[in-house]
Amino acid sequence: MARLLVQLKLRLLVNALRSSNSAKVSFIISSTFAVLLAIFTFLVLAGFRGKSTSVELTSVIFTVFAFGWLIAPIMVFGLDSTLDPATLALYPLRTRPLAVGLLAASFTGLWPLANIIGLLGVTVGLASGGLGVIVAVVAVVLEVLFCIALARFVTTSLASLLRSRRGRDLAAFLIIPLFALYEFFAQVAPKAASEGTITAASFAGFDSWMRWLPPGLAAHAIQDASDGRPGLAVARLGALAAIILVFVWLWVRSLGRALVTADTTTQSSRVRGTRLPLAGLGLRGAVAARFWLYQRREPLSLVYWALVAVITAAVSASAVFGRTHHPAVILASAVFGPALVGIFHANSAAQTGPAFVLEATALSRRRDLRAYFSGQNLVLGAIGAPLVVAVCFALAAAAGDPGVGVEATPVVLAGLGAALGLSGLFTAALPYPMVKRAGTPVFVPAPGYAGYRLGGLLTLVGTAVLAAPAIVGAVLAANGPDAIRIGVLVPCAAVYGFALALIGVRLAAKVAEGTLPEMCQAALRTVT
Amino acid sequence: MSTPEGASSGLPRYPAPAAPGTGGAAVVVRGLRKKFGAREAVAGIDLEVAAGSLAGLVGPNGAGKTTSLSMMTGLLRPDSGQILINGIDVWRDPPAAKAAIGVVPAEARLFDRLSGEELLEYAGRLRGLPAGQARSRAAQLLDVLDLAGDARRLVADYSTGMRKKAALGCALIHNPPVLFLDEPLEGVDPVSGDVIRRLLTRFAGSGSTVLFSSHVMELVEQVCDHVSIIDKGKIVVTGTIDEVRGGKTLQRAFIDRVGPRATDAEVLSWLGSSSS
Repeated sequence: MARLLVQLKLRLLVNALRSSNSAKVSFIISSTFAVLLAIFTFLVLAGFRGKSTSVELTSVIFTVFAFGWLIAPIMVFGLDSTLDPATLALYPLRTRPLAVGLLAASFTGLWPLANIIGLLGVTVGLASGGLGVIVAVVAVVLEVLFCIALARFVTTSLASLLRSRRGRDLAAFLIIPLFALYEFFAQVAPKAASEGTITAASFAGFDSWMRWLPPGLAAHAIQDASDGRPGLAVARLGALAAIILVFVWLWVRSLGRALVTADTTTQSSRVRGTRLPLAGLGLRGAVAARFWLYQRREPLSLVYWALVAVITAAVSASAVFGRTHHPAVILASAVFGPALVGIFHANSAAQTGPAFVLEATALSRRRDLRAYFSGQNLVLGAIGAPLVVAVCFALAAAAGDPGVGVEATPVVLAGLGAALGLSGLFTAALPYPMVKRAGTPVFVPAPGYAGYRLGGLLTLVGTAVLAAPAIVGAVLAANGPDAIRIGVLVPCAAVYGFALALIGVRLAAKVAEGTLPEMCQAALRTVT
Repeated sequence: MSTPEGASSGLPRYPAPAAPGTGGAAVVVRGLRKKFGAREAVAGIDLEVAAGSLAGLVGPNGAGKTTSLSMMTGLLRPDSGQILINGIDVWRDPPAAKAAIGVVPAEARLFDRLSGEELLEYAGRLRGLPAGQARSRAAQLLDVLDLAGDARRLVADYSTGMRKKAALGCALIHNPPVLFLDEPLEGVDPVSGDVIRRLLTRFAGSGSTVLFSSHVMELVEQVCDHVSIIDKGKIVVTGTIDEVRGGKTLQRAFIDRVGPRATDAEVLSWLGSSSS
């Protein structure tokens, strides 16, 4: 059974190279990232050599890997068929050999290999002496085994939930903490580290409790062996092995249960309200009502808003964690936040998916299309403006200069109007099919349409250019009597932004009158 | 004349089913063509559907049914040809043509984060019905479609049959004079199928026109008065059910027209309980 499942996994990997060009490109990109991860991790772990906090830092890295193994399989649940016991439930398989086979299949592939190679950096960074190196190798193997057992146990236990609509919704939200972590390590941590806000000693506190977790046990076993405490090292590895056995035992039990348990896809939720809101606003209100409900109920919409908040905050991270508190940095967030709202909706008709046909069969007149675009903008503006303004105020407060939040407000209002106007225009002028791949939080262009990302790029540039008058006004206001100038600037920027959005709606409706069939075909070919 | 209530209050005005110059036909298709790359999906279709009739469009997979219906409903731009709905050219005056039709696409992909009643109310309001009227019609349609008990459930949690019924409700809520359906009974259980079948018969019986594509010959034979067989992008025969059948079952007539697909039972000589 183990051999069969390993062969299956290898066959799937080889087939990826033989299939469509897009699958081939995805495979090559994934493999490249795996190799880069192995090299990067090895170098980082090896770089801890000689540092007084090397064991603490190694514990942190080991824990991050375990976290990754926990989250990633849940997000790519539909992608790896060996993760779902239901796909094997039809065959006459006994649980124990099946478990061994699935475990072996999990070890197969470039990513597990990249994990092992990368983590072996501890043989340079933390281990010393022959015994230390041997324990390091064993600890790395056990660490990866722990990660796999944990991931298998969690995905198998959640398999019935993950097959359901509600489970997939929950899985979609996992991208938010992952993305926040990525932004932290990519944007915040390097700046903070370079300015001395975060040092290696900052992790000392973590280690007091992390050392008792499985990744911490592996890291400390290496140090114990290197410091001449082989008994303690073996005891820690034994404890880690016991924990792994417990997880494997739990996994085998849940696997046996999952093979004969009905899934939960038939469970469903009821909505509370009985009427669509905004009945008094005609067609515009109907579109706004549908769009508003989708912002609340569709995980992807909530993910988009979370990404807007996280990226807007990350753009000005240096203002918060660094020593320079120049307001221009937070003004960058005030432009980026609205631009992101526009970028995420610059192909909104296609992004609606095949359901757009319902709208396309009803909308044709320019007046109707204006109502369609303005209805969407009403909702995006109502959510986007307070969200981005709040993030700017929070950043300004964290940077110790709350007044900057006030200066950012007119930039947000003008930028949002520009972004919404441009997103509507590109929705009508450059419609293209999109796909939502498992494991990715947002829609991406369908194979062959990568060039259409241009709409998003132009939305970003256009937003910055059109918001320029408000940026100039905010900078000037910062150097004068704020109370007077900002009091005038905010309403002026609001009117300016509203006018930009209005012009965008009118242009989008004019263009959409001719491109509605193309918008419709793009929506029909979008894979959600 | 199928005109929704309140048409005088700014709602879409539908033309009379038998428009002048169409010889009493609600749907007229002339020389319709569509190519995807080198492949000609629709290779010159001519078709007329009489006002008040319930017509079926049948054909094997890939024959061009969905492409043809998409062009007739203004969702896919044809390479050439003309389509008239109640005398209105679909591609010269899309707003007027779209106001006169209801569409149920092949894959009933709906706004699945709305509840059933929210979805139908939304469809009604998109079609210009006042909110109150959209709401009351939605409730009535959900009741007739046997979805009243699930009206507050999200469409995402509906079964295939329930989705098809909800899509039909969306297409009917503005009481269009012409209804297009693409595979309305695909993946639908017999009970839901019966609900859809009765509703379509009742709708056509009131003088409205229905054109639908289907693989289910039995359904076409039972409910349609006219049928057209399409193969390789062309209409190979059209007429009343009896004319097309020619004394045989519609299934037999269809296979005779389209040609049987090759089978070779000898290759599977091992298959069956008498083999080892």
